[in-house]
Amino acid sequence: MGKIIKKGTTGNAANYTTRNQALKRLQLKLEEFRRLCILKGVHPREPKKKRQGQGKTYYHVKDINFLAHEPLLEQFRTIRSHKKKIVRAKGKKEYDLAERLKNITPGYRLDHLVKERYPSFIDALRDLDDPLSLIHLFAVLPAEKRLKVNNTMVQKARRLSLEFQAYVSRTHALRKVFVSVKGIYYQAEILGQLVTWIVPHALAQHIPIDVDYRVMTTFLDFYEVLLEFVNFKLYHQLGLKYPPNLNSHMEDAATGLMAVMHEMATSTGATGLLEASAPTPNPESKVAKESEKRLSTLKDKMADLTEGDAEEEEHPRDAEAIDDAEEDMKVVIRDEHGQESQETHEEDECGNLFKGLVFYLGRETNRESLGFVIQCFGGKAGWEGEGSPIEGSDPSITHSVSDRPNKGHRFLSRDYVTPQWVYDSINFRVLTPTEGYQPGMKPPPHLSPFVDNEAEGYMPEYADTMRRLQEASKSVNLDAAAEVQDDESRGTKRTLDNDEDAAEKEYAAELAAEIAGVSYAQSLQKHEDEEEEDEEEDDEKSDEEAAPGKSAPLSGAEADAVDAGILKGSYLLPRKTRELYKAMQMGSAKKKARIEELQSKKKQVASKKQKK
Amino acid sequence: MAKRSSSREATKAPASQKKEDDENYEVTELGMSSDEEHEFDDQEVEVMVPPNDDEEDEDEAEEEQEDEEAESDGHGGEDESDGEISDDVEFDEEEGDADEEGEEDDDGDGEGDDAVDDEEFMERMLQQSIDEDKGAAGNEEEEDEEGSDKGPAMEDAYDSQGSDSSDDERPQRNTVGNVPLKWYKDEEHIGYDKDGKRIAKSEKRDALDAFLARTDNKKEWRTVRDEYNDEDVVLTKEEMEMVRRIRRGQFPDVNINPFEEYVDWMKWEDGGKHPLSSAPEPKRRFIPSKSEAKKVVKLVRALRRGWIKMDKPKEEPKTYLLWADDNQIMEKNANGLTYIPAPKPQLPGHDQSYNPSGEYLPTEEEQAAITMLDESERPKFVPQDFDSMRQIPSYDKYVKERFERCLDLYLCPRTRKKRINIDPESLLPKLPKPKDLQPFPTTLCVQYEGHTGPVWSVSVDPSGQWLATGSSDCTVRVWEVRTGRCQRVWRVGYAAKCVQWSPDPSVRLLAVAADTRVLLLNAEVGGPDVREATAKALTLIKRESDKSSDALAVWSSWEGEGAGALSKGGLQLQQKHVVRQLAWHHRGDYFTSVAPMGGPFAVLVHQLSKQATQNPFRKNKGRVLRAIFHPSKPFFFVATQQHVRVYNLAKQTLAKKLTASVSKISSMAIHPQGDNLIVGSNDNKLTWFDMDLSTRPYKTISSHAHSIEGVAFHRSYPLFASCADDATVHVFHGMVYSDLLQNPLIVPVKILRGHAVEDHLGVLDCTFHPTLPWLFTAGADQTVRLFCN
Repeated sequence: MGKIIKKGTTGNAANYTTRNQALKRLQLKLEEFRRLCILKGVHPREPKKKRQGQGKTYYHVKDINFLAHEPLLEQFRTIRSHKKKIVRAKGKKEYDLAERLKNITPGYRLDHLVKERYPSFIDALRDLDDPLSLIHLFAVLPAEKRLKVNNTMVQKARRLSLEFQAYVSRTHALRKVFVSVKGIYYQAEILGQLVTWIVPHALAQHIPIDVDYRVMTTFLDFYEVLLEFVNFKLYHQLGLKYPPNLNSHMEDAATGLMAVMHEMATSTGATGLLEASAPTPNPESKVAKESEKRLSTLKDKMADLTEGDAEEEEHPRDAEAIDDAEEDMKVVIRDEHGQESQETHEEDECGNLFKGLVFYLGRETNRESLGFVIQCFGGKAGWEGEGSPIEGSDPSITHSVSDRPNKGHRFLSRDYVTPQWVYDSINFRVLTPTEGYQPGMKPPPHLSPFVDNEAEGYMPEYADTMRRLQEASKSVNLDAAAEVQDDESRGTKRTLDNDEDAAEKEYAAELAAEIAGVSYAQSLQKHEDEEEEDEEEDDEKSDEEAAPGKSAPLSGAEADAVDAGILKGSYLLPRKTRELYKAMQMGSAKKKARIEELQSKKKQVASKKQKK
Repeated sequence: MAKRSSSREATKAPASQKKEDDENYEVTELGMSSDEEHEFDDQEVEVMVPPNDDEEDEDEAEEEQEDEEAESDGHGGEDESDGEISDDVEFDEEEGDADEEGEEDDDGDGEGDDAVDDEEFMERMLQQSIDEDKGAAGNEEEEDEEGSDKGPAMEDAYDSQGSDSSDDERPQRNTVGNVPLKWYKDEEHIGYDKDGKRIAKSEKRDALDAFLARTDNKKEWRTVRDEYNDEDVVLTKEEMEMVRRIRRGQFPDVNINPFEEYVDWMKWEDGGKHPLSSAPEPKRRFIPSKSEAKKVVKLVRALRRGWIKMDKPKEEPKTYLLWADDNQIMEKNANGLTYIPAPKPQLPGHDQSYNPSGEYLPTEEEQAAITMLDESERPKFVPQDFDSMRQIPSYDKYVKERFERCLDLYLCPRTRKKRINIDPESLLPKLPKPKDLQPFPTTLCVQYEGHTGPVWSVSVDPSGQWLATGSSDCTVRVWEVRTGRCQRVWRVGYAAKCVQWSPDPSVRLLAVAADTRVLLLNAEVGGPDVREATAKALTLIKRESDKSSDALAVWSSWEGEGAGALSKGGLQLQQKHVVRQLAWHHRGDYFTSVAPMGGPFAVLVHQLSKQATQNPFRKNKGRVLRAIFHPSKPFFFVATQQHVRVYNLAKQTLAKKLTASVSKISSMAIHPQGDNLIVGSNDNKLTWFDMDLSTRPYKTISSHAHSIEGVAFHRSYPLFASCADDATVHVFHGMVYSDLLQNPLIVPVKILRGHAVEDHLGVLDCTFHPTLPWLFTAGADQTVRLFCN
């Protein structure tokens, strides 16, 4: 008789260990193991059969071996023993020694982990959602010892987030913005990858006590390194120097993004393209000098910026540089992907949406978000307060964004809108009519741009209105394209005008219809229903003829539905398939029920409104 | 005590040594002196002053005796040998032991003297002891007794200076050693002296003796009985003092000062005039080191030139182009496992907007319901509405949600799951369209109304012109199929549960099951020759045997109480049990009746031509519910609750046993070719048996919502139908191919509705027209309907 093989020692079962076994193998404490797992991106896996029990966490043996060979492990041990030395020194009241030891605490690098986890840049971009969200959160968290969040972390998070935003706005990569109750969602398209992140509202954050901040800071540790390298690569592709110098003066004035953007623009202008690709011999000293120089000339530049629209003519060099950079990026994109036409088209659309528009942000608006978004879509923004590039009385301002009804002087040359107008215009890629967005009024519903209404099966009324507007503007754009070729200087402005004209006309028509007592959506629905009915009639004619509809005690539609199900022969299927089919039917029924619920609620709301 | 102190001496510094010594010989001498005193006492008993005298008197008395000794005390060290000798002399006779001890002491003293060689030390010691002496002498004047007692003790003290081997205990008379005395409890003696002689026990003092001793002897209160040596020991004043001091927790000896000043013995009094080594201090101790100077110079130079920086600024980790060669895309991770990216969180929908459109907001009732819910049961997110962006509050679960996401990222096991993203319709079998399978009954054509109770059974005559129905209203009716006219009505007295036309085309004969009777009726339809043949078939053959009571069924003629003159009589078979079902043999001569409660007589086969009844089975396995004949072969199908048994009538054997896997069979029909069978059941299932294939169902169809009441095959079209209590009739296309390799094709083609559910009963029976694709259904709603194509 051969040797009896113990169960779970060979095959698939032997590939997995429980967490406790892993801890024993690595000789680590749980928290050290956790930190290592987070940094290395090791996660539990689901074995086919759980030999050690159902309620346990299983890791792949290869993962654990992988951790065991991590050089970081040794580094962590060194750090731990060093920290013991500090404690010992303090215990002996040798405070000088403790201080000195503290200053020479060994650190650790994570770049090899970034490369290891994301062998190609696209991989890193794909996984950028969580890093961005967490870093944007930490950028606004208070640095508290209680939370184990220190100031350097927060500063770095803020810097990285600004740098990333600067890149996004520079390349006009932002695609969608959604102001939700939870925060503001942004979606950007970077090298063909959709990156979505959420930024909390610019208010003091509620800091719960039942959260282990050590876990979050460990994540942050890695994410900061990751984002830094990603930023470097992105800037490198644009031919920009990284890290960009934050303009301290502007940063102090809490202009945030502007500080970075301003610096980026000037740096390309002054030192030319592709500076970063050629490593400078002594970058730090040079950078310091540059920043000093810039600080000295800041006032001039501020003056330049205030001139707003005229900047392009007056600073051809800067403008050229920007254009060059844009072209450069287009080339990059073309290299990476074949479908350049579509890419560039969307990019152009995004970059030119607010072209020529100058926004003036009121006091109670989310300046950071709006400023970022407006820049992304080619507009210019000034604000009420320190550091604004544009004065409040500047005649070039086309839109005044405020959240409260304006009590002061009203400029006739400006449109007064709520912040939602900016976001909605972006999401629908069209300058929405400003009538509905007057400050002080409740704006039309703000819809999520992440929902595919057609796939979902329910189209909110406002989405439908906007869709028509979009279509109208597209056709106008096409018409105007010819004119644009002739007269480029007025091109954009004209298309915009046309846009607005068309939109207004449509809107007027719609209003008229509504006055007549039929909302457009309803009439449209009716029309569609009729069409559908016609089609259905064609299809089901034979069935209808045959059905004993009149005498049936069941209501016609219901019976038909049941009949259809049975006649399809689902019960002839093998049981497994039949169950699957049933589950799918249930899913679709749920979806349908949700749609019906929404529709009925919509009717309720409409009736309530009418009563009022 | 001695042992302890001596062992300590070996390790102690000289300062403490002296103290120890004092203690030592003090105790020793005390022992001695007490002995002596004891002896004196013994001697002096007679001359003692009476006990009520106070102590001072007593002391004075003693003083006289001890004057000499006291004087000798004063001599100090000079006369020590004399004193000792005198002592010895004095007590020699009485106490040999004491003698020797004293000698030993002497020896010890001598040794002690030798041991202490330091002159200075000795000097100091002596000085100190003299001081003490003086003090003691001073005291003497005040406390005479003390002085008197002390006399010999002090004398000895000087002798045993520095002694470490003194035996400070009283001399032991008994030599048995440290053994419990109870060993000698029963003996006359208590041990042996050093000569080996027994020491006899002294007489035990009784209470009177004790009392007398207390009154007589004033020292009795400080007398202690030494059981071991069997003697009384009177404690001296010093000893009493010592006991007192011990009790108080003080040093036993008065002379010990616990807070003595520290004496630095190692300090040279001559101020280091005589060091241990006389070598001069080397020069190198006074000049700086050259090698060190070199090192310092180096460091200073390095510091000056900036090679060494004291406060090194922390090196910022540098960023560089990490993905320089970005073209390689690896399939696997560095750890050799496939990379499973974390699933992205769901993107927000319209309802999460700060200003959602009205239909996404919860209504007031919903909002109220949500607030009523427990904290844990509330939905994670409730849509909220704000008029403007500045009113949006900080989202209090933001940090928590990010944290949970972090937890998910490193704690959740990740697996790749195949998500089926297919159109559910693609799962369905590829069936031919019902349109291509026409004709089949689709439309309601005729409704036969007249019954006043649920219609239980429906049957069409072989020509297809006449329809017979049986109902709970105790009537059997014959209808004209095309017009719906009621041709005949019989009142049969009981609910007619089953009606079957004879398949013989030459007659129009109707078999009706009504309670325990089976009626054979002449429908009187068709041509005259048919009527005649029918009448002829229904003439009763009179036989003797029929009368017998044990007959299975009694054949008799029946005169119906039919409506009008139209109805004529027929034959009647009286059975013992309620007949539920009837089935004709395809030739029309035999028919079978099923009485489910009949036990062994459940299935009876009747022959019309001979008007005879027989029971084919001796007993039935289970309750028989249905029985039918094979359409062409001599086979007989008997359905019990879960099985269908197929009997070969020619061979009289069981040919097959079909298992339907249903709870209760309710109906059964056989395909006209005879190889396929359908069975309807109470648990909504319709099972199709292909008897060439298996004894298990070929297909089970559970399309009905309620129990199936009847099933039927069409005689020529590939159609079958099932009717159920959900008031629907399902029509199927059931094609059986002559090619044995090809399985039958079953396609649902039509669901016929129209009947209503009444008292949980829907459609109770269905049957096809013999030639046309028409379907007759009998419902519990008292109607019979005809569905045409």
